[in-house]
Order: sequence, then structure tokens, then C-alpha cells
Amino acid sequence: MDRRKFIKTSALLTGGAVLGASRIIAKETGPADLVMVTNGQPAEMAQKLFELLGGISRFVAKGDYVLLKPNLSWDRTPEYAATTNPELVAEIVRLCFQAGAKKVVILDNTCADARRSYDACKIPEYARQAGADVRFVRDNQFVETAISNGTSLKSWPIHQEVFNADKLINIPILKHHGIGGITSGFKNMMGLLGGSRGRIHRPFPQNIVDINRVIKPHLTIIDAIRILRRNGPQGGNLNDVEQMNTLLAGTDRVLVDAWAATIFDLNPQSLEYLRLASAAGMGEIDTNKYKPRVYSFKV
Amino acid sequence: MKVKPLTWRKISQVFFFLLFALTLLQATYPFKPWLPPELFLWLDPLTAITNQIAGRFFDIIFLLALIVLLSPLIFGRAFCGWMCPLGFLIDTSDHILKPKKRPDLRRWRFLKSALLTAVIILAIFGVQYAWLVDPLPIAWRSLGVIGMAFIFLLVDTFLTGLVSVGIFPDTILNFQDWLTGRLFPVSNPEFGGLVVPLIIFLIILGLSRLSRRFWCRYLCPLGALLGLVARFSSLRRIVDTEKCTDCGVCRHQCKMDAIEPDFMTTTKSECILCLNCKYDCKTDAISFGWRAPLKMMPNVDLSRRAFIGTSLTALASVGFFKINKLDPRHSDRLIRPPGALIEDDFLERCIRCGECVRICSTSGKCLQLSVTESGLEGFMTPLAQYRHGYCEYNCNLCGQICPTKAIPPLSTPEKQKYKMGQAIFLKDRCIPYRLNENCIVCEEHCPTPNKAIKVDKQAYVDPVSGAKRIVSYPYVDESLCIGCGICENKCPLNGEAGIIVVREGEERSQV
Repeated sequence: MDRRKFIKTSALLTGGAVLGASRIIAKETGPADLVMVTNGQPAEMAQKLFELLGGISRFVAKGDYVLLKPNLSWDRTPEYAATTNPELVAEIVRLCFQAGAKKVVILDNTCADARRSYDACKIPEYARQAGADVRFVRDNQFVETAISNGTSLKSWPIHQEVFNADKLINIPILKHHGIGGITSGFKNMMGLLGGSRGRIHRPFPQNIVDINRVIKPHLTIIDAIRILRRNGPQGGNLNDVEQMNTLLAGTDRVLVDAWAATIFDLNPQSLEYLRLASAAGMGEIDTNKYKPRVYSFKV
Repeated sequence: MKVKPLTWRKISQVFFFLLFALTLLQATYPFKPWLPPELFLWLDPLTAITNQIAGRFFDIIFLLALIVLLSPLIFGRAFCGWMCPLGFLIDTSDHILKPKKRPDLRRWRFLKSALLTAVIILAIFGVQYAWLVDPLPIAWRSLGVIGMAFIFLLVDTFLTGLVSVGIFPDTILNFQDWLTGRLFPVSNPEFGGLVVPLIIFLIILGLSRLSRRFWCRYLCPLGALLGLVARFSSLRRIVDTEKCTDCGVCRHQCKMDAIEPDFMTTTKSECILCLNCKYDCKTDAISFGWRAPLKMMPNVDLSRRAFIGTSLTALASVGFFKINKLDPRHSDRLIRPPGALIEDDFLERCIRCGECVRICSTSGKCLQLSVTESGLEGFMTPLAQYRHGYCEYNCNLCGQICPTKAIPPLSTPEKQKYKMGQAIFLKDRCIPYRLNENCIVCEEHCPTPNKAIKVDKQAYVDPVSGAKRIVSYPYVDESLCIGCGICENKCPLNGEAGIIVVREGEERSQV
């Protein structure tokens, strides 16, 4: 079964029921809070996504300071699928303000030069129009943070705004990655780290899980509008980009990444960091247990 | 109130200094100059002459230097007194340091002409060394590189301090980001080779302790060159013998010691039209007026003997520079900016102004001024130092800004094809090879679309525990590597990286 067929099947199997339902069930917690929206424009897909999740106000309260963490990490324009879709990010900013957010901040500790990356990915341009503060990351803004239950990391410098913000929403783009298999929600948290980040790669699965023990996004939204199939995470070749027009979101970080792996045609069990995260009780890896509610704009 | 010409001179100095500062501020990513940062260097006749002689080329942009070169025919050395940004700084330094003694240093005047002779003779024999004593490249690298780095540290520390004590943190942070987007890098570029040019700059200013305008009087070869033309100057100092009381204030107040003991005669090749004498004259005996331009003044401060001596010394030092050439086999890590001219041509053209280093500090941060790394002839030339920074894949700014095209202005796609060097793994250091563990930070960062760094996945069996694991062993596809150095820069090892870029295979532009 190829991926497109799979999505369509999913849409028919699970989405149909959701579409027919007049109200959206919005549980406070639990892995049922997993949704997938396909085949729309970025903004309308984001709106539908939150509608299915039970509304943005479920995640953002009036007066909240919201930290958004999209991927701005590379000096690549959006069509190269190395950074998160700017229209998607801007729409999420708008929704946060609709819910009464006091402040929405976007930042990322980039891999390429910060100014080049911020300019190329267009997220600052779009998100500022929507009212967000898009900030550069500075060395003095990281606080050495203890990871009391870490298996391989005992502490690491983490950006102060992670602790200052009321809510953290993770908005990675789904890409191929040489060592993680894919880079998705867990890996995207590296953009909030300081220090010598290259060292996180050794051993990568344990370290990336440890980092996510202290950085806990309230919601993960996977941008699979364009995905980078090969030569990730930086890309640079349009032939490696595949238009998938899909958003995936959920409150269970492990489950969201497991489903991201699935739509990337990977078995979640083959990703060591997901196995470790699941074993550590951070979430559910079994995609057979929980399926997303699917909405497709033009099936 | 009528504005005195003396005040006009000060206004002019401040104006041109600010203009110069504005040209410096243009040299930043994103590079959208409305005033060319190279302007003052293109106007510099000493740069134009020595550069084109040494490099055996003609560039039409250097015709701009004719404006400054010919200006003394009318205005004398007014450039030095009214326009030169270094001259303005020296005047300021004079005010602060206040030379106490007034020793007679006139016998040293010939030094600047000797320096001028020397740099031109060197240029004729293909050694381009005028930048060491040419005031405008000195001003550029002192203010544009060292000065901007200093101001950045000052401003950044101050703003960061305000944020950390909670004074309007959001506003300050937004302002800091605004500045960062226009003038400064996001983080400290950590310059390496700035201490030598800084010392040169401080010495030039510190010489104010010996006499006013010491540099301009005795050392500046551009001043000497303009002085040669200024001997034919039309605008000149005129003394009314009826009114003059021989009080000597004019001679005492002269910035340049250009007035002879008779108080009447002016050495036109020294006078920078500062007008001090006119305004300090108690009896109003001094005026500046126009006279027939081609009346030559007799004073040539360089005697025939000194001229010949200087020329021979310069000639001898050509050999000195040439025998100090770097052995290419010993300069394996000497990585030049992308697409730089082949080494000999590059050395003949690079005027060490530091523009490339400055603009790189707001982008990939790899270019540094070399100290000894590229030999005596390559002193202060830009080198890519990949533990400091790396060449940004989409950046071509060093070539866009180079005033002499020692780094040619390449388009971004062209620049991306130039191989700056070749990445090689040091397998005794590289983590996967040394410890048989995964790392591949280099592979992740490699910006070439098809990844010049690839991995070979091999099963590894731990000889002690017998545990088996799959390890990604990285290797370089040399046909794809462009030597940008991001792999060396991002390698998580401390000290020397596990992957380094060497000069082997580098591609340089032809003239």
C-alpha cells in the first residue's frame, strides 16, 4: 500500500465517522486527541485541525504567553521543505491571538546563520504580520537545566523562554534525517537547546528522549504539507521534496511522531528514540491502537 | 554670524568622517548598499596606482582616484586636512594627547616620500604592500573591522545587560534584533588576527604624543603623493608683509610644520589648508588666495641620495618578500575566500582593507585576517578559518564587496561551484571511526543538495561485549565537496575537528 492510498483509506475508515459527527469530542488528555487534515490550503487546514482538536481555546487560555517552535533552522526557501511552512505558522499565530493569547513568541536556534535562515524560511515575515514576536536566539538566554530522570544527559542549556512561556506548541516539518530516520517532533526540540549541540548526536536516541523529558510541548503539529524525502534535514534539491498536503497534530508526542513515521513509510518501531520514549512512558508508539481522526478537504 | 572657514574645515572633516562611517555600515548582510562601502578606497590614488601596477591590470572604477590625485592642483593637500577620515582621527588624538615638547623633526619629512618610493618600486616588481601604510585601507580595517567588532561588543553587552535587569525587555529585545538584522551579527564573530592591525592603528594615533599630525607630516605616503601634486597648487597661503609682525604664532600653530622660519614661505607639499595660521594671526596678515597654478615650489624633501637609497632598499626587499614565499606543501590549511584569484594575483590585488572580513562576520564568520599563516607577502590577507565559522552556502558577499576584485564578484550559483578546498576525515579523531558510534553531525550540515558527505552503514561488533550495532561511517564524495567548511565548523569534537578542509583541489579564479 503506498502512502497516498493509505491516507485515503484512513480517511475513509476513520475520517468518515468524524465527518458525520456533529460535535467534536475533546478529551482533556489521552491519545485519542490525534487528528490529521489533508488536501487543503495551509491556513484552512490549520483551522480545521484545531476544530477537530476541540478548538484552540483548549490549548491557549486568555492571557497566555505562547511559545511556538516551528523549524527555521536552514538557509532554504519554503519550497525546499527544510523549514516549516510559513503560512501554517502565521495561521497558528492568528488562532492563538483569537483565543486571547497575550503574547506569541517564535524562536529557533538555527543551524545555518540565524539571519539568513530567518530571512529565507519566510516565517518571520508571515508570523510578524500575524502579530507574533519573532526573535533571534542569544547565547546568554540559555539556562543550564537539570534532567533528573535522564539516562544519558544529566543537564543541558535550554532556552529560558521554554520556562517563561505558559504554553509551548511544537510545529516541526517532517523530513528525512540521516541519523534519526526522520526528524519530527522530538528532534525539533533541539532548536531550543544551547551549548555544543553536535554532542546530542552521541548517543542520539537516548539524548533526544532526555531532552524531551524537560521540554514538554502541550501540542505537536506536524507540517507534512511538503516533506523532504532524501538528503535531509537540509535538502536543497526540489526532486527530494514531495507535496503531501497533510497536517498531523496531537497531544501525545510519541504517538504523533509514530504516525509521522508511518506517513513517511517507516515503521515507528524501527526508530530507536520512539521505542525508548515509549518505554519511558512518554507516550504510545503503537499506531494500531490509536488512529487519527482524519478530515480531507477534497476527497 | 558668519561661519569661519576654520569652522567649515571642521564641519567638512566631520561630514566626511560620517560619510566614511556610513560606507562602513553598508558592509553587512543583507548587502543592499545605497552607498558603496568601497567608495573611499576607490578614491584613493595610492591604492589605485600600486594596485594596478602590481597586478598589471586596469579597472575603470579606479579613475575615481583621479579626483583625489588631481585635487591638489587646485586645493593643495586639502584632502588631508578636510576629508581624510584617518586625518580627522589624528586631529582628535592630537587634542587628547596634546604633544608637549616641540622637537624639530623636520629631518624625518623625507620618510613619507621614501615610503612612497618604496611601495611604488615594490609594486613595479609585483609586491603590493602599500596597504600597510596607505591611510584609507588602514582606516577601513581599523574602523570597519576592529571598530565595528568593538562597537558590537559594547552595544550588545549593554542591551543584553538592560534585558537581564528587566528594563523594557521586550522593547530592548526587539531593538536588538532590529540592529542584528541591519548592522551586527547575531553572535560574537570571535576575530583572530585583529591584534596586529589594532597595534598599528594605536601607534598611528599614539604618535600624536610626539607632534601634531605626526603620521601626516612624516609617514603618510598618500600625503607624500598628494604633496608632489600640491607643489603646483593654485590655492596657497599669502602673507601681507606690511601687516606681519614676525610674532611666529602661525609657525607655532601650523599642524604640519609647513611654514618656514621666515614666516612668509609655505611648503605647499606639506600645507593641508587647515587655516590655523590665518585665524591665529593677531594682525590679520595671512590670507589664502589663488595664484597661477603651475608655479613650482623648489622644495623636494627627498634628496637624490635618499631616493636612490630608498629605491635600492625597496629593490632588495623584493627579494626578501619573494624568498619568504610560502611553500605550497606547507600551506595545506590556507583556504582563501570562495573563487579568489590564483594566489600570486590575489596577493598583488588584496589591499587588506578587511571589507570581506567585516561582511563575512555578519554571515558565515569564517574569514579572518591572517597574521603569519600565509607568509610575509600574505600578511593580513583574509583566510577562511573553519573553527571560527564556515562559508555560508548561499552567501557570495565577500566577492560582492571586494574593492579590487581580488575576490571576483561571483553570482551565488557561480560561487557555489567554486571549490574552496577539500574536506577530509581525520579518522584518528572522527567519532564513528575512533569509537564506532554514530555521530554524522557533518553529514547533517553538508549544504550541497546531494550531500558531499555520505555514510556507509556497517555492522560493528563490540570485541568486549560482543554486542552488535549498525554504525554510519561517513565519507566524502570529493566530486561534490566544495570545501565550505561547515563540517569542520560543526564537528562536535573540541580542538581540532574530525573532518578538516585542506587546500588540495581548490579552484581559484583566473584574472
